[in-house]
Amino acid sequence: MSKVLGLGLGIIAAIGGFVDIGDLVFNVSAGAIFGYQLLWVIVIGLIGIIVYTEMCGRVAAVSGRAVFDAIRERVGFKAAVVALVSSEVVNLMTLAAELGGVAIALQLLSGLPYRWLIVLAVVAFAVVIWVTSFEWIERVFGFGGLCMLVFVVVAVKLGPDWGKVGTGFVPHISHVNRMLYAYFVVGILGTAMTPYEVYFYSSGGIEDQWSEKDLGLNRANAVLGYGLGGTLSFALMITGGALFLSRGISPQHLGTVALAAEQPLGRLGLLLALVGILFAVGSASIDTVFAGAYNLAQFCGWEWGRYRHPRGAPRFALTWLVLLVLALGILMTGVDPVILTEYAVLFSVVALPLTYVPILLVANDKAYMGRHVNGRIANGFGLLYLVVIMIVALAAIPLMILTNVGQN
Amino acid sequence: MSGKEIDIGLKVLDHQLLDKNGRRCGNVDDLAIEGGVGDVPEVVAILCGPGYWGQRAGLIGRLASWIGGGRRVRVPWSEVRNVDSAVELKRGATELGLGRGDDRLRPYADKIPGAGR
Repeated sequence: MSKVLGLGLGIIAAIGGFVDIGDLVFNVSAGAIFGYQLLWVIVIGLIGIIVYTEMCGRVAAVSGRAVFDAIRERVGFKAAVVALVSSEVVNLMTLAAELGGVAIALQLLSGLPYRWLIVLAVVAFAVVIWVTSFEWIERVFGFGGLCMLVFVVVAVKLGPDWGKVGTGFVPHISHVNRMLYAYFVVGILGTAMTPYEVYFYSSGGIEDQWSEKDLGLNRANAVLGYGLGGTLSFALMITGGALFLSRGISPQHLGTVALAAEQPLGRLGLLLALVGILFAVGSASIDTVFAGAYNLAQFCGWEWGRYRHPRGAPRFALTWLVLLVLALGILMTGVDPVILTEYAVLFSVVALPLTYVPILLVANDKAYMGRHVNGRIANGFGLLYLVVIMIVALAAIPLMILTNVGQN
Repeated sequence: MSGKEIDIGLKVLDHQLLDKNGRRCGNVDDLAIEGGVGDVPEVVAILCGPGYWGQRAGLIGRLASWIGGGRRVRVPWSEVRNVDSAVELKRGATELGLGRGDDRLRPYADKIPGAGR
């Protein structure tokens, strides 16, 4: 049992990274527009994030240093300031979007006014993070997100053409609407490897006080946690393809995603989907608010971590409180959370290479890692994915402009 | 700490400072190096605090330094116990003037119930 509970970190990081509010809508609309043709892109993103998650978790367990420590040590002060600013902007925009998602899910469940629920959600998060240990935060949100597995049942029940699903896993280029297809490819890869996942995960390993003996646990967290996240992404895309492709509907709203579960499973399916979405966007809120506070504290050298308690790390506690208040302010302007996540990708373009290059460098440093330095496989995949990351970073902005953020 | 050869640019600069209790209490923001012409230059102190950011990164650094409050703390190199993935110090943070921001904020955090949970 304790071994299963030990997977909480991987699950909360993966669910928060793979099925956050942006991805929920993005995956279902990818299915609605291109059917099962983009499934292979999820596989590529999945392998990349597993490789780097395992790497940064190993660095954390062996050396006690988290990702932003490595960034400042390896790219120098000036580039680290740039990485800090861009990652904080992405974290804050994403946090606001996810909290908006929490309020939307609560609204669909309760029928209460959206703006009141935003305030309620922010206050609830502040109280929960202040009083709850990191261990319980990752367990409650991570395992609550397992309700999302209802979408696997939905995908199967909708009876997709499994032959077509199978061919979707083979990498290929679309013959129609190539520009939009490329936009979705880059978007799926970019969100699969969003930097906040590794910030959260590596610092979370230190919160859980991992040491060398936990390297097996780290591997299990990376593979099983993200395996689960990837499975949910497949299910959402297949659901979108089976339900919406033939009908010309392209979902732009979280409620449409939840309604997809009502079609084959009735009220119970809808309820499970809404609770799953609530915990999934809740996990993403936790990932992003902590990532924001970890990054600033690590850049400045402050004491950090929920395990130090607010009285042991007051500047860290103040940082996450301020981030929650800023996110509340952003949401009160009435901005659409889904749009917010699409624009957050713009700012993550700078953070992507500045985050992943230092992880690879530190994981190869014998002084840090001793005999646990990267092997050939980790380095091979690590280098390959640096190329993928560079392509994503360079292609993201032009494609956003050319496709009008995926609207044409 | 002496006698051991380390690459200060890679292994010391920008690394985490830990006090004798393992408390995180700043980063190595810069180093004070002494030595005249012909001498072997020697690191004499660790410089810590946003006040030293300006000399690291021009305009961006000065802006960050101004936002960070510009505090400067100088820790003599003789206070260093060990250089690992972090730089470990021989004494407590408060004695060395480090971690002041957390110490100042702590009484306010304590006023909120559950701060020690």
